[in-house]
Amino acid sequence: MKARYIVRRAGRSLKQAKIRTLLTSLAIAVGAFTLTIALAAGEGSRQYAEKLISSNINSQALFVVRDESLVGGGGLPGGDGLKEYSETSTQFSGLSIKSLEPKDLDVIENDKDIEQVIPTYLVEAQYMTFEGIKKKYTSDVSVYDASVLAESAAGTLPPLGEQIKDDEVVIPEGFLKALKIDNPKDIVGKKVTLRLVRQVQPSEEEITKTIQEKGSAGLAELVGGEVRDESFVVRVVSKASVTSLSASNALFISENTARSLSDFLTRDTPRYRSYVAATAIVKDGVEPEVVKQRLTDKDLTVRTAEDLQGLLFTIVNLLQGIVAGFGVLALIASVFGIINTQYISVLERTQQIGLMKALGMHSRDVAKLFRYEAAWIGFLGGVIGSVIAWGTGTVLNPWITEQLDLGAGNHLLIFEPLPVIGLIIGLMIIAVIAGYFPARKAAKLDPIEALRTE
Amino acid sequence: MIDVRHVTKTYGKKSTIFTALDDVNFSIPDGASVAIIGKSGSGKSTLMHTMSGLDRPQTGEVIIDGQDILQLKSKEVDRFRSRQMSFIFQSFFVEANESCYNNVGMVCEIADVPSAEHQDRIERALEAVELTDKKKSRARDLSGGQKQRLAIARAIVNDPKILFADEPTGNLDSATGEIIEDLLFRYNREKGVTLIIVTHDHDLAKRCDIMIQIRDGKIVSVDNKKPATKSSRKKAGKS
Repeated sequence: MKARYIVRRAGRSLKQAKIRTLLTSLAIAVGAFTLTIALAAGEGSRQYAEKLISSNINSQALFVVRDESLVGGGGLPGGDGLKEYSETSTQFSGLSIKSLEPKDLDVIENDKDIEQVIPTYLVEAQYMTFEGIKKKYTSDVSVYDASVLAESAAGTLPPLGEQIKDDEVVIPEGFLKALKIDNPKDIVGKKVTLRLVRQVQPSEEEITKTIQEKGSAGLAELVGGEVRDESFVVRVVSKASVTSLSASNALFISENTARSLSDFLTRDTPRYRSYVAATAIVKDGVEPEVVKQRLTDKDLTVRTAEDLQGLLFTIVNLLQGIVAGFGVLALIASVFGIINTQYISVLERTQQIGLMKALGMHSRDVAKLFRYEAAWIGFLGGVIGSVIAWGTGTVLNPWITEQLDLGAGNHLLIFEPLPVIGLIIGLMIIAVIAGYFPARKAAKLDPIEALRTE
Repeated sequence: MIDVRHVTKTYGKKSTIFTALDDVNFSIPDGASVAIIGKSGSGKSTLMHTMSGLDRPQTGEVIIDGQDILQLKSKEVDRFRSRQMSFIFQSFFVEANESCYNNVGMVCEIADVPSAEHQDRIERALEAVELTDKKKSRARDLSGGQKQRLAIARAIVNDPKILFADEPTGNLDSATGEIIEDLLFRYNREKGVTLIIVTHDHDLAKRCDIMIQIRDGKIVSVDNKKPATKSSRKKAGKS
């Protein structure tokens, strides 16, 4: 008997037992629903995480440090407490951290696949003032990241990959609150002034000399440090974006400015031109992982954008696994539903099976008939479950986005046809496996017994 | 030509042994109508099952057109049954929820008849039993006589050589039974199909060419009246 006919007959006999078919399918549909949601949530979170990372980290970027404890492995920075003293150590948040020295930067810069190296400049302004506002403020100062496109609330950002001018700054939208400005346009074009103070550690000779020449007033001036005011124009107020972490809290200056200010602040100190970390951009088309390996061989600690994604994805996968686990449990329950339904169906249709066998249907085809019925049930359950999940998810997505504050345009549940089709096929296979024993019972039925008139 | 030779079928084991068929021998010429007659429990149904290859006796041969069907593999017996044989049962065994068309179509599907031929064959079979107008009705909506006519349509759709009828009129009133009988005998006569009726109804048995009486698994008598009744059968067919 041709498979096509068996499939059709299987479908028809299910149609004749509508309620039972539907109820059995619904059991699978519960599993299918949960698994579809799990798939969608996994996909959604992955895409969200990717968006989050890509709007903050260039995928071709390498994060390079000297001190392994900065990027994990040794736990939190300075996790072991006691560290080897180094001349070039930087005091950072009260911790001693080994810095990247100029020769380390040279190593990175000289790598054939590195396009650009941007050290992490530590620019600490004592305070900053804004044109027309009397108060003084403090804020982190950071280098504008040209490799990531931010969103502008006012003013025009340079195109992707281009730095802002050396006398320009980008301020985050978050500043406006403290500045008591409502319209971001009001601040664009205004002047910002940073007050920089260079700490000096004069030698004994210098101190003696100064006291001799200028007295104690001169000494105060000497240790008070060198003061410098730098003025900039606000080019852009960057929009607070949920996915863009870099836009959150720092005043952004150009790379050149950052270098010159950093040089000024660290001149004549051991920290001069040595940095806690650096970002190296790998040339397009070159696998960052390859470059990472090469730099690691040269005693640098390197993390790729992917490494940083890894942790986030581990969490996403774990959560997805938990949801999927419930789906699998529901499926296991539904497997017994199928077995039960099919057994009853075999018992009910004893005569029909006997007749078909008497009329010359092979036992194998009888088994197929019941297996295909099971497959139909699996298919139906899969379709019902995934369609409901898809529909519910699509309807609820805006609400979830709002509740979880994911930011407009981001969805937690992202449905893709291919995994769902795969899921339905998988369910059909599971259903067929569940239908194995009932189908075997049907195939083994003795037609003479089955047709004995009651 | 159906040749049944030394067929013995027993059930159970040593202490509880029951002999359903005991060294049964007879032969049936092609195109004959045969009644296997006996009381219930006499072994007449077992004999029919054995002759159709549904049941396998311990010893003996059932030779149909020179082929001992008891030697065939089960798959080959299935094929043989689907193409050469057909069955009609006392309780009709039509599929209640399927349409008449699909009831008949099932046999075409089982016998692997090319799908292009299905419609034509099914319609001809339904026409032969005068159920053309019920083509799309569900079998459960038919009366008893209509159900048995549907069963006959199903039985003849593949042009079988042998038609087994197990008490075909047992569940029908005598008028309806008569119609079914006429239908069967007409088909037997027109198509030259071998008709084997299992029954305990002597009136029905008398209409057959050959009457095989069975009691306690043994053939009591084989009564061949074919040469003598040729003309009378024609009359019966016309009525």
